[in-house]
Amino acid sequence: MDLSQLPQQIVNGLMLGGVYVMVAVAFTLIIGMLNFLNFTVPALFMLASVLMWAILEGHGIALDLTATAVLLVLAMMAADRLQHAELPAPVKSGAALGLAAGALLIFWQIIASKPGDEVFAWLDAATGKGGRWVVGIFVALFTVSVLSLLIERFTYRYMKAKYGDATEHALPLVSSLGFLIVIEHTVISTWGSDALTTASPFGNASFEVGPVLFSVPQLLSLILSLAIVFGLSVMLKTTKLGRALRSIAERPDTAPLMGVEVGRIVPVVYVITGLLCAIAGILFTINYTTVDAYVGDTVATVAIAGMVLGGLGNVWGAIVGALFIGMVEVMSIYMVGATFKKIPIWGLLLLILIVRPTGLFGHTAIGKGKF
Amino acid sequence: MADDVLSIEGLHKSFGGLKVIDDVGFAVKRGSRTALIGPNGAGKTTIFNLLTGVYPVDGGTMVLDGRDITHVPAKDRVIFGMSRSFQNIRLMPHLSTVENVMLGQHARARRLGDLLYPLGFRPRNRWATAAKEALEEAGLETYPGQVVANLPYGVQKRIEVVRAMVSQPRLLLLDEPAAGLNQVEAQQLLALLEKVSESGVTLLVVEHDMHFVHNLCDHVAVLNFGKKIFEGTPAEVNDDPLVREAYLGSDTSMAGRGAAEGAADAS
Amino acid sequence: MSGYLESQLIILCLNVIYAYGIFLPAASGQLNLGAAGFITIGAYASAWFNASGVPMYLAIPAAMVFAATIGFVIAFPILRTRGVYMVLATFAFAEVVAGLIINLEFLGAAAGYPVDSHADYLVVVPVTILVVLLCFFLMSTRLGLAMRSIHDDEAVATLFGVDVRLAKVAAFTLGAALMSLGGALYAHHYNYIETQTFNVLVSIYILLYVLLGGTQTAWGPLIGAAFFTIVPEALRQIATASGQAWIAESRFIFFGAIIVLMMVFRPEGLVTRTLIDRIAMPFGGRSGPARAAGAV
Repeated sequence: MDLSQLPQQIVNGLMLGGVYVMVAVAFTLIIGMLNFLNFTVPALFMLASVLMWAILEGHGIALDLTATAVLLVLAMMAADRLQHAELPAPVKSGAALGLAAGALLIFWQIIASKPGDEVFAWLDAATGKGGRWVVGIFVALFTVSVLSLLIERFTYRYMKAKYGDATEHALPLVSSLGFLIVIEHTVISTWGSDALTTASPFGNASFEVGPVLFSVPQLLSLILSLAIVFGLSVMLKTTKLGRALRSIAERPDTAPLMGVEVGRIVPVVYVITGLLCAIAGILFTINYTTVDAYVGDTVATVAIAGMVLGGLGNVWGAIVGALFIGMVEVMSIYMVGATFKKIPIWGLLLLILIVRPTGLFGHTAIGKGKF
Repeated sequence: MADDVLSIEGLHKSFGGLKVIDDVGFAVKRGSRTALIGPNGAGKTTIFNLLTGVYPVDGGTMVLDGRDITHVPAKDRVIFGMSRSFQNIRLMPHLSTVENVMLGQHARARRLGDLLYPLGFRPRNRWATAAKEALEEAGLETYPGQVVANLPYGVQKRIEVVRAMVSQPRLLLLDEPAAGLNQVEAQQLLALLEKVSESGVTLLVVEHDMHFVHNLCDHVAVLNFGKKIFEGTPAEVNDDPLVREAYLGSDTSMAGRGAAEGAADAS
Repeated sequence: MSGYLESQLIILCLNVIYAYGIFLPAASGQLNLGAAGFITIGAYASAWFNASGVPMYLAIPAAMVFAATIGFVIAFPILRTRGVYMVLATFAFAEVVAGLIINLEFLGAAAGYPVDSHADYLVVVPVTILVVLLCFFLMSTRLGLAMRSIHDDEAVATLFGVDVRLAKVAAFTLGAALMSLGGALYAHHYNYIETQTFNVLVSIYILLYVLLGGTQTAWGPLIGAAFFTIVPEALRQIATASGQAWIAESRFIFFGAIIVLMMVFRPEGLVTRTLIDRIAMPFGGRSGPARAAGAV
C-alpha cells in the first residue's frame, strides 16, 4: 500500500463527509424533534441537486415543475383555511371542488404552454448564463422548502396513532416513503434515470498544501456546511424558537401546556430540514457536477449511518458521525477496494445499534422505541 | 401462614431516588376480598406492578400461595395463580372479545402443541367454547365476535375481568375496576365480582370509590406515600385518624371524598 | 400459459412470498426493513448448494434452513432494538449481506452468479399457495393470537403468560425462512442472480406491500402484494394499448400518491379486521360460534 497518499485520502474523506453532514443533520433534527425517520430527506436532497442541474442546463420544465409544486402547496393551504372556516358544508365542498378544478386547470396550462423555456430565453438574454446561478439556487431552496411544508401535512399531522400499538407508528414513515417514490419518479419521468452532467463553474480550481491537493469548491462547501450547522445549533440553544423546538423534542405532550404552539413550530422544523437538504443538494451539484435520480438514496443512506453513529437527535453527534463515516468510506475504498465499502459502514452501524444505540457520545437518545 | 394466599414483606421500590414503596408488608387471606386504598400517588398501582413483575423489586419478598415469586419472570407469574385487570382498560383493541378472553387462557396453553392449535379454523374447538362459556357466565354473550375497541366502556371493563378469570387464578388483582363506570355498570360489575369471589377466588382490589369498597370488600389496607398506615375492616377505616389525615388533613367524610376522587385519579 | 402471463404470475408469487416473510414479524409489531438481506441469502445459498451438486428440491430447503439459522441468531440482538432503531438495524443487516456477497469470489462477486436448475411456474405457484396456507394457519393458532397480542400490547401479553421473546424470535426466524424461500425460487427461476437486484428499494417496497395491505389479518400481505404488483403492470398495459406513454411514465407517481393518501384515509391498511368481519357477516350483529372464533 502506498502510504504517501494517506494525507490526501484523509482530506478526501473529510470532504466526502462534508456532503453527508447536512443530510445527517436534517435526519437527526426530525428524529430528535418528532421521533420519526423522514425518508423524504433523500428525495428532497436529490430534487435540489437535480433542479440545480436542470436550471444550469437551461431546462425550462424545471421552472414548470416548481410552479406546479408551489401551486399544490397554495391549494393545500387554501383547503386548510377552508376546513377551519365557519361555512355550511355544501359551500365548503363546493369551494374545495372549485379549488381542485382551478388547480388542475392551471396545472394543464403550465404543462401545455411550458412557460419555463420563455423564462430562460429572457433570462439568458438579460444576464448571459450567469443569471442561471442565482435562479438555480433560489428555485432549489424555495421549491424544496415549500415541498417540505406539504410533506409536513401528510406525515406529522397524521402520525398520532389511534391505539398506540407497534406498527401504527410506522404511519408517517410509510407516507414519507410515498413522497420519496413520488419525487423520484417525477424526476425520472422528466429527465430519465441516467446520469445528468453539467460543467462546474469553478473548473478544476484547486491549491496544494505540501503533498495534499485541496479542491476549492469542496473546501468552500465543507466550510459552508459546518458554518450553517453551527449557526443552527446556536439558534437551537439561544433563540426563543430554539427553546420551543427543544421543549417539543423533550416533552411533546406537555409542550402545548407551556405555551408552545406545536402546530406552528413543527412546520418550521420541516422547512429547516428542507433548507438543509436543498443547500446540501446544491453544493453536491456544484462539486460533483454529475447527479441522477438515485443520488439521494446513495448519499442519504450513508448519512443515516453517520447520524446513528452520532446518536439520534444529537446535532453535533451527526456532524462528527457524518465526517467519520465519510472517512471510513474513503479509507476502505483506498485500502481494500470500492466494493468493500459497504461492510465497514453498515457493519459499524449494526454494531452501534445493538451495542450502544444512544450513539458514540452517549447522549440520551430521543425517539426511543417509537417513531 | 397457610391460609394466606399472598403475603408481602418489607417491600421496597424507588424510582430515581424517590421512594415509591417503603417497607410495605401485608397479607391477603384466602377467600377474602381485600381492598388496597390510599390517596393519589400512594403506590397502589406500583404494588400491583411489583406483584405481577412489571418492575423488579428493590427489596423484600412476595410469597404467592406458599411460593416465593419475588424473582420469577413476569411471564411465568400468571401460572402460579395470579391474574390482574388494569386501571386504564388494556384489552387488545384489534382482537375480538373471544380472542381477548382466549389470550387469558394462554397461561394454561404454553406447550408447543397448544401454541400450534388452530383456534380460528375450527370454530367449535374447546378453547373457543370455554372462552364463550366464560363470557356467557358474565352475561356478555352478545359480544363474542366484535372487535373490542368499539364496545362500551363498562362492557370492556367486565371483559377484562373475564379475561383475567380464564387463567384460573387463585388471586385476582383488580386495579380500579369501578373507575369511570356509571351506577348501572358499577352494579353489574359488583355482581360479577361477587360471583367470582363465591367461586373461591381471592380478590385484591385497588379502588377509590368507597361505596364500592364497602359493598365488596371485607378487609382494607391503606397506603400513604409508599407506607402502609392502616389495616382492618372497612367499618374501622373511616374512624382511623391517620387515614383521615392522609386523605384530607381534616375530618370530612372519607366516603364522599373518595367517590369524588375516583373519576379523576391517575396514581 | 402465455409467456407474458407466466412471467407476471411468477413476479406476483415471489412478491407474495416476500410479503409474508415481512408480515410475520410485522404482525407481532416489528418492522423489518431487511427483506433484501434474507432474499439474497436464500438466493445465493440455494444457488451455491445447487452448484455443489445438491438437487434443487433439497437445495431450496437447505437454503431456507441456512437463512433461518442466520435469522434466528441475529434475531436476539436485533430484537433488543425497537421502533426506528429496529428499522435501521435490519436495513444495516441487509446492506452488510450485500457488501459481503459482492466480495466473495466463489459466489461470483460483482459479476453475478449463474444458477443451474430451473424452476418454472409449476414449482413456484404451488409453493406460493402452500406459503399462503401456512401463514393463514399460523395466524389462526394460539401462537398467531400471541403475536397479534404482542402487536397490540406487549406488556399485557407478557402478564398473561405470553413468552414475548419466543414469539418475536419465532416470527422473525420464520419470516427469514420465507424470504429466503422467495429468494431461492427467484434464483432458480431466472437462473442468474446478482446482489444489485436485491437492493434497498426491494426492502422498502416489500415493507410497503405489507403495511399497505394491513398487518391485522393474514389477508393483508396477499392483497397488498397483489394490488401493488398488478395495478402498476395493468397501467403499463393500458399505456401501451392506448398509446398514452405518459400513463406508463407516471404510474409510480400515482403509486406514491396513493400511498400518501392511504395513510390519511386508511392508515391501518387495505384489509382490516373490521373489514373481514363485515365481509364474513354481511348482515352484521349476528353472533355465533363461527363469528366467535373470528377471522384469521
